[in-house]
Amino acid sequence: MVLTFFMSKKITFDYWKHLYSSRMEGMVSSEIRDLLSLSARPDIISFAGGLPEVRALNYQKLERYIKRSLKTDGDISLQYGDSTGYYPLRTKLIDVMAIEGIEVDEEDLVVTTGGQQALDLLAKTFIDQGDAVITEAPSYTGALNAFKAYEARIIGIPVEEKGIDTRKAEEALKDLAARKIQAKFIYVVSNFSNPSGFTISLDRREKLLGLAKKHNTIIIEDNPYGMLRYGGKALPTIKELDIRGDNRNVIYISTLSKMLAPAFRIGWIAAPHPVLEKLTLGVQSAVLCGSTFSQRIAFEYFSDPAWKENIREFIKIYKKRRDTMLASLEENLSGIAEWSKPEGGFFIWLRVPECLNMKEVLADAVRKKVAFVPGTGFYADGRGTDAARLAFCTETRENIQKGIKILSKIIKDRIKLYKSFS
Amino acid sequence: MKKSIAVLMGGRSLEREISIKSGQRISNALRKLGHDVAKLDVDQHIIENLKAEKYDLAYIALHGKDGEDGTIQEMLEVLGIPYTGPGVYANVFSFDKIVSKQLFNKLGIPTPRFYFLNGSSFSELGASKILPQIVERLGLPLVVKPSAQGSALGIKLVEKEEALTDAIISALGYSKKVILEKYVDGIELAASIIGKEGPRVLPVVEIVPDNGLFDFQSRTGSGNTGYFIPARIPDKDMKTVQDTALAVHRALDCTDLSRVDIILDKKDRVPYVLELNTSPGMTDTSLLPMAAGEAGISFEELVDNIVNMALK
Repeated sequence: MVLTFFMSKKITFDYWKHLYSSRMEGMVSSEIRDLLSLSARPDIISFAGGLPEVRALNYQKLERYIKRSLKTDGDISLQYGDSTGYYPLRTKLIDVMAIEGIEVDEEDLVVTTGGQQALDLLAKTFIDQGDAVITEAPSYTGALNAFKAYEARIIGIPVEEKGIDTRKAEEALKDLAARKIQAKFIYVVSNFSNPSGFTISLDRREKLLGLAKKHNTIIIEDNPYGMLRYGGKALPTIKELDIRGDNRNVIYISTLSKMLAPAFRIGWIAAPHPVLEKLTLGVQSAVLCGSTFSQRIAFEYFSDPAWKENIREFIKIYKKRRDTMLASLEENLSGIAEWSKPEGGFFIWLRVPECLNMKEVLADAVRKKVAFVPGTGFYADGRGTDAARLAFCTETRENIQKGIKILSKIIKDRIKLYKSFS
Repeated sequence: MKKSIAVLMGGRSLEREISIKSGQRISNALRKLGHDVAKLDVDQHIIENLKAEKYDLAYIALHGKDGEDGTIQEMLEVLGIPYTGPGVYANVFSFDKIVSKQLFNKLGIPTPRFYFLNGSSFSELGASKILPQIVERLGLPLVVKPSAQGSALGIKLVEKEEALTDAIISALGYSKKVILEKYVDGIELAASIIGKEGPRVLPVVEIVPDNGLFDFQSRTGSGNTGYFIPARIPDKDMKTVQDTALAVHRALDCTDLSRVDIILDKKDRVPYVLELNTSPGMTDTSLLPMAAGEAGISFEELVDNIVNMALK
């Protein structure tokens, strides 16, 4: 009667589970990712991805840069290159940094395959299993994932309009010190942070640097959006503040993804020389060297003074889109929700009443053809259910207005629904 | 014989990602079988795309909205293009779990006791006031789920009354109506059925979710769900499970294929039907291909069978 018991077998989909490293355990597919796969469709108004407006670039000029890269020195462009990056491009990158007030030499940089590889290399260089790192909360998902991949213990410090709460950061560092735990680094996006849109005030930049020095640790300052300022006064980067002193505590990351285009996959790290040596070894073990071809074209781009006009064009486009989204939010959600008012960058951070779960709002929104990223993805500890990141950089003015209206209606309907229970 | 087949995949449903995986795998199998294959994402251009070529068949690899609610089937009927899987009737009556559960009750097919509530009834009719009575009648824990949503999106097990509101609001993010269903402590089973005349039940799969509930993570293969095939249940229970699955398949007038999800009560051994799927997943971790494999039917043979049935 119970023959089936003996015939039954367990189905195995993945025969290699027993071989995976422990760090893979935390990396699972999420429901949010599946919901967001819908946002790639052209009929969806997407506030999800921070996709730069690459159509604003001059394609004819780009074509010329590519041709020149092949014609004048194709043998170099198509060859393996220096692990620290194509030297002529590094000479241009230091010019870019100088515009933001950071004076460094070519020798102080290593070029990476996008800003994401910079994060991975830094995590690989500094993090052992269980090591404590301090981040903003919310913080950039790509950074959190890079740190988690090396099994870091992430301590999230709340952010406010003036950026990371330095008092809380100090408490966290003191607490770690009391337990004889060395914080490996403090990771911040100093300007128009992803996802919050907040900029760290000068006072807090100085305090944070002071804390890093006091607790003998490093600040990783990620500044992908610094050039994209639409209002307010530019502040010195934390790296600049450090250079004014002993220049020991800040490792600076940036990327060409927003200044040029993400497809080039070019980022870079400016760090003290001993750290750079480790990072270069990291590049060698990961990719030998970045794409010389890509770096050669980027060199052409930055050799043409017109690149600054492109930045001005980007600023013009994004500023309009930011203003449209802020006005639409004001029109539709005033008194119901709160949101950041970024002076630059790509993102607005939306906070809704606590009773709402933005993951569920997303499920409803994608059915009505609007997408965004729910807040939980930006916290290491499951917080952020009542928040969302809205990217204003991608959609047109009309779509932003339409999308915010749809999203606001869903939020209002769900608040009404929630209230009907109480 | 070589056919021109449009594989309909992707679409607007929340299960788009799974549908794309199913569609890719089906397309590869169809190519290996020697057919001409066009992969079509179901969007606003679908009618033009279907009219652009003279397709012999539409293979429906869509899950959820449009693909399993009768929408795409009705459109294909109008266009006169044969399609795989059950027809409009089966899709319409199975997609909304409230409708199918009502039908099961009428036909005497066991299904967990339930109540449903419309989202607007909370804000407009004060429906939250009857929740204590529902809880009293169904007992705790109970299962809260959207009425029309696949892959267990939005499903929650409520163990304490305080958690009920959040679960209902959560489910209403996925569907306009919500089902509150009695929790059955039992063995989760999936009975896949294929065949036009004389449909047969493939080996029944037993699902052991690691967190006690076969939710989205478990269903998409990303959790640590265990699958046993055939299910580890006595032959007598197996017979009632198979008979029940066939009864559901026939009651909803399913043709060619379906997958019936059942929970076998550990105590009274009653096979309670949870739902019927008209376009079951076809990914490499899906239950229908798993069951077919156990019956000695390769993935290509399964796809070939489904195509041949649709063209008959």
